[in-house]
Amino acid sequence: MVATALIGLSIAMLLFLLAAGLTLVFGMLGVINFAHGAIYMLGAFGAFEVYRTTGSFWLALVVAPIVVALIGAAMEVVLLRPLYDRDHVEQLLMTFGAILVIEEAVRMVWGLGYRDLPLPSALEGSVPVLGDQVAVYRLFLLAAGTAVGAGLFLLIEKTRLGMVLRAAMSYPTMVRALGIRVDRVRTIVFAVGAALAALAGAIAAPIVPIQVGMSFTIIVDCFVVVILGGLGNIRGAIAAAILLGLVQAFGQHYFPSWIEVVTYVVLIGVLLIRPQGLFSAAPARKA
Amino acid sequence: MSRSRWISSLILTFSIPLVAVAAAFASDAGTQYLIALILVWSIFAVGFDLVFGVAGILSFGHAAFFGAGAYVYAVLTLDYGVSGLAALGAAVAMGTVMGALFGVVTLRVTGIYLALTTLALAQLVHHLVEVKLKGITGGTDGLAGVPRPELFGIDFYDDRMFVVFVAAIFFVLMFANAVMRASPFGEVLRAMRQNEVRVEQLGYDVRLYKLSAFAISGGYSGIAGGLLGALVMYVGPEMTRWITSGDVLIMTVLGGRGTFAGPVLGVVVFEWLKESVSGYTEHWYGVLGIVFILITLYMPGGLIGLLSRLTKRRAQPRRPRRADAERASGRSSEAA
Repeated sequence: MVATALIGLSIAMLLFLLAAGLTLVFGMLGVINFAHGAIYMLGAFGAFEVYRTTGSFWLALVVAPIVVALIGAAMEVVLLRPLYDRDHVEQLLMTFGAILVIEEAVRMVWGLGYRDLPLPSALEGSVPVLGDQVAVYRLFLLAAGTAVGAGLFLLIEKTRLGMVLRAAMSYPTMVRALGIRVDRVRTIVFAVGAALAALAGAIAAPIVPIQVGMSFTIIVDCFVVVILGGLGNIRGAIAAAILLGLVQAFGQHYFPSWIEVVTYVVLIGVLLIRPQGLFSAAPARKA
Repeated sequence: MSRSRWISSLILTFSIPLVAVAAAFASDAGTQYLIALILVWSIFAVGFDLVFGVAGILSFGHAAFFGAGAYVYAVLTLDYGVSGLAALGAAVAMGTVMGALFGVVTLRVTGIYLALTTLALAQLVHHLVEVKLKGITGGTDGLAGVPRPELFGIDFYDDRMFVVFVAAIFFVLMFANAVMRASPFGEVLRAMRQNEVRVEQLGYDVRLYKLSAFAISGGYSGIAGGLLGALVMYVGPEMTRWITSGDVLIMTVLGGRGTFAGPVLGVVVFEWLKESVSGYTEHWYGVLGIVFILITLYMPGGLIGLLSRLTKRRAQPRRPRRADAERASGRSSEAA
């Protein structure tokens, strides 16, 4: 019971890290990044590659997100910058094109087979929690996710930098007049979103098969989270991620072959009853 | 729709199937198969574009309608001995019902939410087809030996005759498409693309129009799926995958969304790219991705937009370039 709940929460943390990146980019750039799952996959493959050359999992956890953040920055400059004053759907099309290119690039470099990354020895095994055995890595996932989520929240809501970021997105002309380079702010935000996705990929790497298909499975779950939580609503994303994580963990336990169906049924139910998402105050969606 | 546009769509409606049939009779077996494939995908793309290009709704779930039509055709003909024609009718019905269902679930969401939701719904259908309904659909193996339809004792296993059959269906559906787009129904859909709220304020039931567009589009997709099953004589779960939704989207954007001939041209170019690039590299899908990105960036009107821009510039050389480009790609009014 406790173990299952903790597994659910650790799944929720992964989903939250992804949804946070997606939400950050959407909230600040107005772009829904379809390629977010592909970037997550890049993070996992990147972590695998760093581990293979250096043998250090911790280094992989740091280096992969940084490298992917740079790729993200390049993506923003080349692909998205020309599109900001077009319709949202155009940006969705663009990031869809990016998926095709990223997936093909991964296939060229690493091929179609599975890769795996062993758990670092410090995080192997399991510990008793409230009378249940829980894998140490699950607890690590929980702690890491919580720390990153909290850090992000503080950065955006409480610091001067966060204030500038928010202002630059709401009043770009005004902020530009104050001497801040809005273009650069956008690039940074997109890079941070990519880094979050890559971090999720690197953290997930030891517990999932690293392969091309991983990007799609996770992005659909992640979309379900943002639809349930309400895009741009970070608290909603947390709540929806926890809901979905628990459904999946308990589902794995009690009705393993019906998890996917249940996930979608929850989604359809919510859309029919509360199309604005479970936790959003906004009455309608025009994004 | 202006009179000249209506006439040019009618000319295309007649000439495309004729050219296809003529080409099929003048070429070898491989090309005949390719022509049939292009016609089938064109029906799918034209149906998809009714929602995406005309009404401006990005659906990422059309693979579900396409796949459902294919499976209905395959299961009815294989397991129940239903005649091919009746099974195609059932494929249309299935696509229409699925389209309407997707429409109902997504009625209250718009824009990117709708894209994400239709993607998730199609994923549910894919999961059902591949895992849950394994007993009926054959799971990952799919269904092999799907028969082609029969009519007046003609041998539709001859690809030439199958091209004639598909061209006839294509003709009927293109004609219906031309009528729909010229009708008040088409006008309302186009208006919805530009400003849904305003259309609603004018007293139109936007939800009903959206639902109808989804249902009709689903019907087109369903028959296309059934025809593909008959052409390939195999139906598999990859037809319901998101890649399939992506392919039809790429084709439509490539050719020119919202235009009459755009989706068809897109299918031709897509298949041509696939044929020619896959000869050089197995990573042709990546090349396709790059082409798609360039089109989204620089040619939002697709190839048709480019063509009309070129011809207009020649006719009126003194028109300023930028305004010309915007008008040709139909973006000037919807940029806001």
